[in-house]
Amino acid sequence: MMKDFEYLAPKTLGDALALLEQHGDDCKVIAGGQSLLILMRQGLVAPAYLIDIKGVPGLATITFDPKEGLKIGALVTHRAIEKSPEIRQRYGVLSEMERRLASIQTRNWGTIGGNLCHADPAGDPAPVLMALGATVTMASTQGPRTVPLEDFVLDYFETAMQHNELLTEIRVPAPAPRTGTVYSKFTVIESELGTVGVAVSITLSPTDRTCGDVRIVLGGAGPRPLRAKQAEDALRGKRITDDLLKDAAERAAAEAQPISDINASADYRREVLKVQVRRMAAEAVSRAERN
Amino acid sequence: MKHELKFTVNGHPYELHIRPKTLLVQVLRDHLGLTGTKRGCSCSSCAACTVLLNGMAVKSCSVLALQAEGAEVLTVEGLARGPELNPLQQAFLDHGAFQCGFCTPGMLMAATALLRETPKPNKDQIREGIDANICRCTGYNSIIRAVTAVANGEYQEAAK
Amino acid sequence: MSTYSVIGKRVRRVDGPDKVSGRAKYTFDLVLPEMLYGKILRSPHPHARILSIDTSKAEKLIGVKAVVTGKDTLGRKNGIWRRFPELCDEEILCRTKVRYIGDPVAAVAAVDEDTAEEALDLIDVEYEPLPAVFDPLEAIKEDAPQIHEGVELNINVTRHIEWGDVDEAFKKCDYVREDQFKCSSQAHMAMETHCAVASFGLDGKLTVWTSTQSSYYVQRLLADMVGLREGDIRVIKPATGGGFGGKFELDSPQFCASVLSMKVCKPVKIVLQREEEFTASKRRTPMYCYSRLGAKKDGTLLAKEIRVITEGGAYTGMGATCLYLTGFFSSFPYRYPSYRYDGYRVYTNTAPTSAMRGFGAPQSTFVSEGQLDMLAADLGIDPVQIRRLNGMVPNHEVPGQATVQSCGLPECLDSIDQHLRQRGKLPPDHGIGIAAYGFMSGGIFNWFDTPYAFSAAIVRVNIDGKVDLFTGACDIGQGSDTTLSMICAEELGVALEDIRIHAADTGICPVDLGAWGSRQTLMTGNAVKMAAADAKRQLLEFAAAKLGANIVYDLDIKDRHVHLVDRPEKGFSYYDIVKQAIRGKDGEAIIGRGHYTPHRKGMVSPAYSFGVQAVEVAVDRETGRYKLLNVTTAHESGTVINPVGIEGQLEGAIMMAGGYGFCEDQPMDDGRILNPSIAEYKLIRSLDMPETKILEIDTYEPEGPFGAKEAGEGLTNPTAAALGNAIHKAVGVRINSLPITPEKVFRALQDQKQ
Repeated sequence: MMKDFEYLAPKTLGDALALLEQHGDDCKVIAGGQSLLILMRQGLVAPAYLIDIKGVPGLATITFDPKEGLKIGALVTHRAIEKSPEIRQRYGVLSEMERRLASIQTRNWGTIGGNLCHADPAGDPAPVLMALGATVTMASTQGPRTVPLEDFVLDYFETAMQHNELLTEIRVPAPAPRTGTVYSKFTVIESELGTVGVAVSITLSPTDRTCGDVRIVLGGAGPRPLRAKQAEDALRGKRITDDLLKDAAERAAAEAQPISDINASADYRREVLKVQVRRMAAEAVSRAERN
Repeated sequence: MKHELKFTVNGHPYELHIRPKTLLVQVLRDHLGLTGTKRGCSCSSCAACTVLLNGMAVKSCSVLALQAEGAEVLTVEGLARGPELNPLQQAFLDHGAFQCGFCTPGMLMAATALLRETPKPNKDQIREGIDANICRCTGYNSIIRAVTAVANGEYQEAAK
Repeated sequence: MSTYSVIGKRVRRVDGPDKVSGRAKYTFDLVLPEMLYGKILRSPHPHARILSIDTSKAEKLIGVKAVVTGKDTLGRKNGIWRRFPELCDEEILCRTKVRYIGDPVAAVAAVDEDTAEEALDLIDVEYEPLPAVFDPLEAIKEDAPQIHEGVELNINVTRHIEWGDVDEAFKKCDYVREDQFKCSSQAHMAMETHCAVASFGLDGKLTVWTSTQSSYYVQRLLADMVGLREGDIRVIKPATGGGFGGKFELDSPQFCASVLSMKVCKPVKIVLQREEEFTASKRRTPMYCYSRLGAKKDGTLLAKEIRVITEGGAYTGMGATCLYLTGFFSSFPYRYPSYRYDGYRVYTNTAPTSAMRGFGAPQSTFVSEGQLDMLAADLGIDPVQIRRLNGMVPNHEVPGQATVQSCGLPECLDSIDQHLRQRGKLPPDHGIGIAAYGFMSGGIFNWFDTPYAFSAAIVRVNIDGKVDLFTGACDIGQGSDTTLSMICAEELGVALEDIRIHAADTGICPVDLGAWGSRQTLMTGNAVKMAAADAKRQLLEFAAAKLGANIVYDLDIKDRHVHLVDRPEKGFSYYDIVKQAIRGKDGEAIIGRGHYTPHRKGMVSPAYSFGVQAVEVAVDRETGRYKLLNVTTAHESGTVINPVGIEGQLEGAIMMAGGYGFCEDQPMDDGRILNPSIAEYKLIRSLDMPETKILEIDTYEPEGPFGAKEAGEGLTNPTAAALGNAIHKAVGVRINSLPITPEKVFRALQDQKQ
């Protein structure tokens, strides 16, 4: 049963931040509410004040410039990301990920900022954005701060955001030439939270199949999206071969910290990660060669 | 404290005073008596409550009613023009695209949104368009046939 | 033979316009003046003694109008096997002991749902937890906790079926295999959860609107439980959001809303939350199965022995029927010269298991069709061929059990064979598996002990020619209102739009046992046909004189035209004869009556339908994940009354039965269902749904209305079995436990490598 709360709908970012400062732990921020309302209906979250920022202007835009890269306002809906021609063209992996995120209905109302703040370890955007090297900007009455997304997501449903802060923007650097990024979630039925998810971004050297920059991020493989650093090390600076990818995949699976639950055993998750990392890395390489 | 909500449902303007925790589906069903919109779960997972909010399909169980301030909502009750069922409704009838009918209002709204965005969807696009909506009776394929028939213009007469 | 005017045509459902416009009112939608909202407090323990229940704090909460516990009931035990008091074992509101997580202990009625829910938190129940047992193989042991007093080894029901000399026959076999299987549970997952509005008036009469598959059962069982006469209870079924076997017993919302309403004399509405629906309504029966199958070298089956231990959960429900049908359908659809089945239903401290679409047959088909494929492979015989060799044929006698009259199995096999040939060679890691099945057209058994006909109908022809059809049949979505209206229109010789059906209201409709066991087309259909024929005969009595017919049988009505059968052009309007007949009958509307109770048709059912299904999958060998690509079904159900309805039943069954094979499951930990939400309960959605193809085979069932028989549940039987066989064809591994998860396939592929 949902508990009653006081509803506050600030009209500006400044007002929103002031309210956050004022109500501290007693308040919750709602954007699309696609995750929050479920928790509130179950009585797991029962704020005294609900601050609705969906109407706050200026936080729902997508912009791109070659220098600064992509800026996505926190209130941009999943659907807007999925449909954005700009994103589809330059960050295809984001549109592909969004297209399989939850449902159309949820994507129409739910926001990217809300998703990241919810920090579900099985969520799709965080691994992809981490693989793309995204940073997030938070605002508060004390001013903004920007951190890598990797440092933003801390644990199961936990972020680095303070109670007086609001996530305002996600920035994704412009992709380097010869970079390929892919994401895939492994599910039993087509549309559900992934049993595991794998995002891989690989930048090839300008001339051959030598791996330059690489990021491998595993979802559903621990309490937060996990950088498979040993797997990345295995690839970085080396010429990509099938055996190398296989080796990296083995390492990634070993690095993962999956749990057993009703969807899969930890062991099976590892096995699937092994397959998925290898396949995604190969796909990232082939995309990089095309870019 | 109750808050004012002004919005439009199926073309009619409404002004209500509601508790902030009221969900859009509760306003539609309990306050306005528009019980066509259904609820099949409590975790935002069945999409039986799908309505169009400013033309977008949303789950009305997962939208705070106050967030619909100033919005235009379309529910299943708004599809027919008087006694005239719209093309999609007629196609559902002809193709047996429902049985118990409990998911049908949400299904119709999801399909309506799909056809507005993608007037000529292929089969895969239709499958995607209704994937959130659980139907325990039909096995979906009859729904896909119905939507396809509308997309193919088989019900243009009805649209006039 | 004359062609039909109504039946066999693609018509719009009679309830269609309301359903596509949002106007159909379900119990879920009902609001009555002064109505209160009820909630049920449920046990958090799998097994515990109730020491005390203190409701005083809840009663004091503002807005709470009534709180009831087992003490407010008559203490009777509910059960649908009314002939067997020991199988009536469910108090619904527990008085002394709870037996599963979710067992109801109290109920509250309040001015709104939030208040009712708040009140539940204020009820103090003191429990003494008892040792609990969850697995039937554990529960059947000597030292297991006893769940029901006086029930030795927790064995709730046993069933034995045997014919021929099984032991001798096995000795004659060239080849024998033994296998073990495990069948899982499944949630009905009807989109409308169980719900009821009960209104007890100051006149001492109770009206209940409820989402049910049998308004008659609810009426009768409620009468037993609340101590009213049957006639003082009126049960009305509004539009109903699915049932699938989960809604034909008396359930907790119906009972608790009634008890609460009788206390406050106001309407009380209870709607189960989805989580309650998953944990505390009934579910498909999980089973451990052992099967031994023997054959000659050429594939002729000589003997079969099957032993089944089922997880009964805390109460009997429809479990006894399910146990019997598991045994009966384990022999389907083959001619076994000797056969032995022993089934044991064991109480456990888990949510009760009961009827679900297929009624034990999806489980038994998974076992028998899987094993038959294995045996065929061992003997080097083609799967279609072994089924042809042993399959049932028309007029087959199942010794001591049943007579199969119409049977299109041979033609179904031919048709699937052709489909397989057309598909030709498949890509790597693709496979097509087949499974054959049969199912009943309603049950003959009368464990409910009704003195009424199993089905009855009244047809009233009014002065304007419009026809009111009254039947107790329950349209829960399967389309019986449409099918029965079509049968009525065809028989009476009028158009479908001339019929207005009034169904499933015990206050005005004759008794019908309801929508279960795939019984309504055949049984209610026969009653409706008889009622329409009765009304028509009365009309024709008046026409006879006018047309100078020898006897009334020379006349008929078709397309609203009354005529001589031999000279159809000679005749006149139906409307005229209606007016004359009513005038001639002192102004009384013409009323026809019909009824049907199967008799001299064996122990199970008056008729059986058959089919063969082919499921095509593609398997990812590296992960074990697979996709259902295509399901093609060769199917016969006698004369097709409502073709659109059959397509829907078939495709819908594939969604449900494919889910049973593929992804649906209810894993538990110490009696707690771990996935009680749609977010966690995986089911086939539109992106997962395979392409479907129907190969309709013509048959005619002499016992059915216009030759029709079952087309509802039987279609749920083959899919999991065919899926298992398809996986084997694709990658050579066999999974003998349901559901066939990617993880299981992956493990089996790992084992295969070694």
